[in-house]
Amino acid sequence: MAAEDLPSEFDVVILGTGLAESVVAAACSRVGQRVLHLDRNSYYAANWASFTFNGLLTWIQQHHEESQPEEVQDWSSLLEEGEELIYLSYSDSTSISNLQVFCFTSEEDEGEEAQSPDPPNTTEEETAANGDEDAVKAASTDSTNEDPKDKIKEVTDGEGEGQQTADSEGVEPTADLPRPSAIQGQSEASRKKISYAQLVKEGRQFNIDLVSKLMFSRGSLVDLLIKSNVSRYAEFKNVTRILTYRHGNVEQVPCSRADVFASRQLSVVEKRKLMRFLTSCLEETEEQQAYNGRPYLEFLCDQQLGDNLEHFLLHSIAMVTEDTPTEVGLASTRHFLRCLGRYGNTPFLFPVYGLGEIPQCFCRMSAVFGGVYCLRHSVRCLLVDKDNRCKAVIDSRGQRISCSHFVVDSSYVATEQKKVTTPTRFLSRAILITDASILPSNSGQQVSMVTVPPIAAGFPVVMMVELCSSTMTCLPGTYLVHLTCQSVGSAFDDLSPVVTKMFHTPETDDQETRPSVLWCLYFNMADGLDVEVEGHNLPSNVYLCSGPDGHLGHDHAIRQAQLIFQKILPEEDFCPPAPNPEDVLYDGESLLPTGGGGGDNSGWGEKGEETKENPQTEE
Amino acid sequence: MSMEDYDYLFKIVLIGNAGVGKTCLVRRFTQGLFPPGQGATIGVDFMIKTVEIKGEKVKLQIWDTAGQERFRSITQSYYRSANALILTYDITCEDSFRCLPEWLREIEQYANNQVVTILVGNKIDLAEKREVLRQRAEDFAEAQSMLYLETSAKESDNVEKLFLDLACELIREAKQNKLDNNDTAPMPGEGKTISYLSCCSLN
Repeated sequence: MAAEDLPSEFDVVILGTGLAESVVAAACSRVGQRVLHLDRNSYYAANWASFTFNGLLTWIQQHHEESQPEEVQDWSSLLEEGEELIYLSYSDSTSISNLQVFCFTSEEDEGEEAQSPDPPNTTEEETAANGDEDAVKAASTDSTNEDPKDKIKEVTDGEGEGQQTADSEGVEPTADLPRPSAIQGQSEASRKKISYAQLVKEGRQFNIDLVSKLMFSRGSLVDLLIKSNVSRYAEFKNVTRILTYRHGNVEQVPCSRADVFASRQLSVVEKRKLMRFLTSCLEETEEQQAYNGRPYLEFLCDQQLGDNLEHFLLHSIAMVTEDTPTEVGLASTRHFLRCLGRYGNTPFLFPVYGLGEIPQCFCRMSAVFGGVYCLRHSVRCLLVDKDNRCKAVIDSRGQRISCSHFVVDSSYVATEQKKVTTPTRFLSRAILITDASILPSNSGQQVSMVTVPPIAAGFPVVMMVELCSSTMTCLPGTYLVHLTCQSVGSAFDDLSPVVTKMFHTPETDDQETRPSVLWCLYFNMADGLDVEVEGHNLPSNVYLCSGPDGHLGHDHAIRQAQLIFQKILPEEDFCPPAPNPEDVLYDGESLLPTGGGGGDNSGWGEKGEETKENPQTEE
Repeated sequence: MSMEDYDYLFKIVLIGNAGVGKTCLVRRFTQGLFPPGQGATIGVDFMIKTVEIKGEKVKLQIWDTAGQERFRSITQSYYRSANALILTYDITCEDSFRCLPEWLREIEQYANNQVVTILVGNKIDLAEKREVLRQRAEDFAEAQSMLYLETSAKESDNVEKLFLDLACELIREAKQNKLDNNDTAPMPGEGKTISYLSCCSLN
């Protein structure tokens, strides 16, 4: 299809469709700004994207082919008097690294196994090149040639890490409960391993997130979704339980009042202590203040709660480390408790079809208010005037497009123009497709947040999210497991020890009662936390959005978007509610449905009144 | 939400090249208007019309592309949880017909398996400028197991029929699904929207 030219004049040009950029786009369009929103990829949401299985294979492949820098073209003919050029970087070669893919399931269906030359269960997926490449093709039309350098490391030692052998004998019987197969509607006998061919064939049933986050139900993202009415574009599931990994077992963390009462792993005394502690946490006391600056663990110890409760409170509720100061630990605990019970038994929501939906929802809002969208389209350079302001950009087709403000994903900006903390920090990510839940439950499909404290000294805290197929992110009969931590080493070095401890892989042959890993991917992603909106070697009306950060919630991106919006339009309201389409036809109907029932069933004091909190207050 | 006054709620999504008359079809059906000119519709997200079919109230939520089709940049989330798709082309524009396979690929990738798709050839009021023969479109639709209908948003030809036929088909499928107890496709409202959640405590 011969694409028409873009209009040549906008108020705000935005490059990159990650979360922060998309929120800025929605906010600007909403108040009448003419917005052009571009992305060099053929898909939305950049490093915040979700992919089908085949789409992910294509993404992996694209990150293997390091594209050569495009021949720098001379755009000086488009320059006007007194203007200078700033070139943007052609491709993002730095934000993703250390990709490693493993396939632990058989290549073909089991019936055809005999024909397969590879022994089952040990097939290693080299480059995923046999994936369906049609899925996401357009981005590769720009890339020049393939780099033979293959980043996938061969894993030659099938032995794995020596640690897990010692651990396996300590496994308590509770962890070895019967498999959850019956719950899946499959009998134990018929439970057949899903082959790689099936994963590819049913690939579109997966929506695999590059980042793994959850939405705090009173966090700034949820508040913004509600306030702006962007929430109408997506649906959400409750995270149904919080689990933790402890002494080689996965345990459920009781957090709501009902959970605590129902908990079988807590003694009556512990229940009483936990109740008292959580209730007392809600208010700041002098006793707490006395611990300011001292570790939260010390504060917890002095409450004489016992090991069980200390572990839950530190790792799963406050989600902090042992040396986190008390005031920070308590603030996190309060935030957790405030979020609890707004929608369900845990403080978290997860979007159906994956997190990649969220930026797209904001893009839709922007489009509804006139934003112009163009994927597979980038900006080559900025035109800067004498006052160090960006007057226009030159797009990938050589068209000059004028703008008053330019917002850009930092991965488009050359390193020498950016001021970043050195060395750049990274996140380690692992994505697993497994065949069973980490903690079988008889109440059907569960969405679990799992906190994994450091498995040994020097190892990072790992956040794990296990998604079931009702979130529309994985094939029925499989689970999608996301692991995230701050990088110490490569993603494989950081996370594979956790994987081998908690799951069954070819390296853990004796652990067949655990969920089996069918397929997994490791990679590192640059941590967006270190990139500031301003203060770079760039024109004053150019604003940088970082990529995803390592926090569990979305506050960082939302705060960035709000900051940028306030720089561009200091007088305007940030994402006021969009008119409700139902109001157009049904006059007088209220904007939000009114209904009975309080919103709070956490039982920790606060009642569920709907407060219109200002999202920027989350710190 | 129990006070909502309908028996069925269906999400219908329009797709097709820019300028084929998608917005006009929606406006004609929901408001009885034919908007003159090609002004982009700012701030309109989806339109709602409740119709009665055999004594049952059916609420149709009809979504438009918000212009994102212009540069082939429709968000995947637009297709999510749609019960029906109206794939529209302009009978006076060969190019809009030739793009249909591209649209079908997108549907296959992002829409749910059980989505009902109908092919619509719009602008039959401009018969003298027709570039795509009816037979050709019918053959194409049949090969893709889609329903086919030709409409004029301007003259209001077949517009009502288009949406009512779709509604009937969706009711039939919904009843069938209930019988089969086949719940692989999420119906709207199965997940929870936040605004819905913000007032109710559900588990």
